[in-house]
Amino acid sequence: MTNDNIQNQDEYIHNEELDQKLMDHDYDGIKELDNPAPAWIMAIFYITIFFSVMYGAYYFWFGQGPNQDEEYELAFAEHDVEYASQKSTEKLGLLTDEASINEGMATFQQQCVACHGMNGEGGIGANLTDGQWIHGCSFDDVYKIISEGGPNGMMSYKAMLSETKIQQVSSYILTKLKGTNVAGKAAEGEACQ
Amino acid sequence: MELQKFYYDNKIVKQFILATIVWGVVGILVGLIAALQLAWPVFNFDLEFLTFGRVRPVHTNAIIFAFVGNAIFAGVYYSLQKLLKTRMFSDVLSQINFWGWQLIIVSAAVTLLSGFSTGKEYAELEWWIDIMIAVVWVVFGWNMIGTMIVRREKHIYAAIWWYVATFIGVAVLHVVNSFELPVSFLKSYPLYAGAQDAVVQWWYGHNAVAFFLTTPFLGLMYYYLPKAAGRPIYSYKLSIIHFWALIFIYMWAGPHHLLYQALPDWAQALGVTFSIMLLAPSWGGMINGLLTLRGAWDKVRDSATLKFMVVAVTAYGMSTFEGPMMSLKNVNMISHFSDWTIAHVHIGGMGWNGGLTFGMLYWLVPKLWKTKLFSERLANTHFWLATLGMLIYAIPLYWAAITQWLMWREYSPEGFLAYPNFLETVTQILPMYMFRAVGGTLYLVGFLLLVYNLFKTMGAGSFVNSEETQAPALVNDQSRQEAGETKHRWLERKPVWFAVFAFVALAIGGAVEIIPMVFVKSNVPTISTVTPYTPLELEGRDIYVSEGCYVCHSQMVRPFRWETDRYGEYSKIGEFVYDHPFQWGSRRTGPDLARAGVVGGKMYKNAAWHYNHFQNASSVSPGTIMPNYPWFANKTVNLELTPSKIRAMQTLGVPYPEGYDLRAVEDLTQQGQAIADELKKANIEVEPTSQVVAVIAYLHKLGKDISTNE
Repeated sequence: MTNDNIQNQDEYIHNEELDQKLMDHDYDGIKELDNPAPAWIMAIFYITIFFSVMYGAYYFWFGQGPNQDEEYELAFAEHDVEYASQKSTEKLGLLTDEASINEGMATFQQQCVACHGMNGEGGIGANLTDGQWIHGCSFDDVYKIISEGGPNGMMSYKAMLSETKIQQVSSYILTKLKGTNVAGKAAEGEACQ
Repeated sequence: MELQKFYYDNKIVKQFILATIVWGVVGILVGLIAALQLAWPVFNFDLEFLTFGRVRPVHTNAIIFAFVGNAIFAGVYYSLQKLLKTRMFSDVLSQINFWGWQLIIVSAAVTLLSGFSTGKEYAELEWWIDIMIAVVWVVFGWNMIGTMIVRREKHIYAAIWWYVATFIGVAVLHVVNSFELPVSFLKSYPLYAGAQDAVVQWWYGHNAVAFFLTTPFLGLMYYYLPKAAGRPIYSYKLSIIHFWALIFIYMWAGPHHLLYQALPDWAQALGVTFSIMLLAPSWGGMINGLLTLRGAWDKVRDSATLKFMVVAVTAYGMSTFEGPMMSLKNVNMISHFSDWTIAHVHIGGMGWNGGLTFGMLYWLVPKLWKTKLFSERLANTHFWLATLGMLIYAIPLYWAAITQWLMWREYSPEGFLAYPNFLETVTQILPMYMFRAVGGTLYLVGFLLLVYNLFKTMGAGSFVNSEETQAPALVNDQSRQEAGETKHRWLERKPVWFAVFAFVALAIGGAVEIIPMVFVKSNVPTISTVTPYTPLELEGRDIYVSEGCYVCHSQMVRPFRWETDRYGEYSKIGEFVYDHPFQWGSRRTGPDLARAGVVGGKMYKNAAWHYNHFQNASSVSPGTIMPNYPWFANKTVNLELTPSKIRAMQTLGVPYPEGYDLRAVEDLTQQGQAIADELKKANIEVEPTSQVVAVIAYLHKLGKDISTNE
């Protein structure tokens, strides 16, 4: 018996009932019991192994489960079906009613001012108040550049804004900003009335 | 039996305890700074050394390798000598282990804050620090195995099985993940690229959690818990089963960090299934710990040591239940890229690693200094502060994770993203980040109580550097299995064989996943339009890597409608073949950048936008928590290194034409001039070789090569 073990004997809590399974192992006073691993933990272990085999079988050997590309295609199609009725089939045009213009202004202030300025005077993006337009100044032109984006940095908004919102913000730009000639970014593009 | 006199080396234990305490304060404090930066970006101070991208790796490295690392060494050096009834094999090796490790930590802190990083999470350190780590780690293992050979105890106890697995596991992981080609003293490129780099890195990353944060602590638990409780280990048989099952299965589970990403389906499936199978072996440790306390629960009420250990083991059980659940693809879809993972690792880090370390220190320091703990009451206060701190840290982050994920995938009634502006989903969860900082503060205050309490204890006691003791000599001449001896019992007295078997168990999982990814071509289908980075883009990428942009910005669009609607086409394996290292990221605090260069795409911003954003992010994104990088405009790219970077890339297999290194600087300046000219149109004057130009060039490359497919 070493010094350490004598010292550790004092710390050891004896419990007659629990210690019946004491083994003859003794490491620096640490003893071990001869209990089996609890059955429930072994059950969990076997269940997870079974799950894993079935998982592999479902996706690979039997080829039942969709891989992630197929899953994506499915989700894409579902989304389109779900929202198909929302797409308008009519041709969109300039709106002039006050409610729509105000909606357009709200969208403009949320989405556009970081680049085009609070009053459309431009900055990172083009000046929207002068008489020169890079991508044209008809309703269809403006709608298209917002929806699709452009090569000099204009973002595409068709996945972020509904058709109505793009229609409203285009209308706001053309009725309230165009022609106000706010001093800001120098004119770019071609003259357009 | 003959009694032999020998001396325990207590001094080395004391050194590691002091280092644990010092680095604990540093690591937790840096974590708190990082938490404050996320809630209030003003804490980035507009200083390049203190931006979140650099501070966060300092926090993770300081906690894992400095605080937890020193705690492991302290715990192992004490218990190993006691369990083997001998002094450490070599005092010289012990001291090299100690001072070498501290030197590594200091080098890590200095290089990371100065912006030298390899850009691989939890393996950010540059090549020469990696070599130092390998050398010091081998010294540790050599010292440990040497000590086992000169032991006076016939059998190797369970705690030491875990120590051996830790040594072998970390050695294998660290070496395989650190193959890199140095360009200069402070810059290297990893050998692997893209998806291959990702598989190796997350095999490492996941198993660093296993073999640095789990297995050594299970070893410490097997020693300190029964010692502190004075009760026998509940089940020797369970010890054996869960040890071998855990070290074998863990190594396979790495790909669960890459689910729904640009990785072959077979590798993802291995990640899922082996993570699920890891549940029972992990819980084996928790069960053996908690059931060992049978008959000693009344002691738990009074002892801060035991309370900390109970919380530690419980936190371990929670994390190791949560981990497998997070590895299911439909759960991972939510947890990956959100704060869920951050909360998860802090339950593990603060609860399991912190709790067990604190419990161990409160038991060990009075023992070594031969006195009573200065104040049991302070220790109990620490216990409540730490436990509350952990909960106030983690619960808000779970909340934040679910909130942000719901916002990411929410569609308006018209079928559009309800929150198209990513920033909205960040500002929504900022209050949760504030709560998180409160939790971190509580945890830090608790730790400072520990510091005070332990220093008072040390002051009151007396310390013996070399403690005299005696034990019978070991008679272990029987090399074959004895009659009535189980195979495992035989193995327990054959430490070298034990280590060999452990190595085999560990090596299989990594080999099965990594070797096919690296050598079987069909796993990385190439895309013909993907071209190597131009010299300017490469320099920009290096800045992106060194600033730790990947800490907040992912470059991995997953195949979900709500991701492709926001970012663009989902990411493909073949896009990343020139990415040394890969930069897929693991948390989206900012938007994904994989499609930042797709002109007319959802993520494209022009050069002027980027310039303004780097100068003052909130001028273009009001309310953003992105740090400012004003020095990008003033600092220039180091053109002297550019040719050697090109040559290094050629060595790694990037198909630049022969002799391109000599023309690289010319091309770089030309491309830079074009961007500078474009910026001039927006009244911005910059040098064509300034850092901001390089970063813009890199961002405009991202996703460009496959944009024709859109």
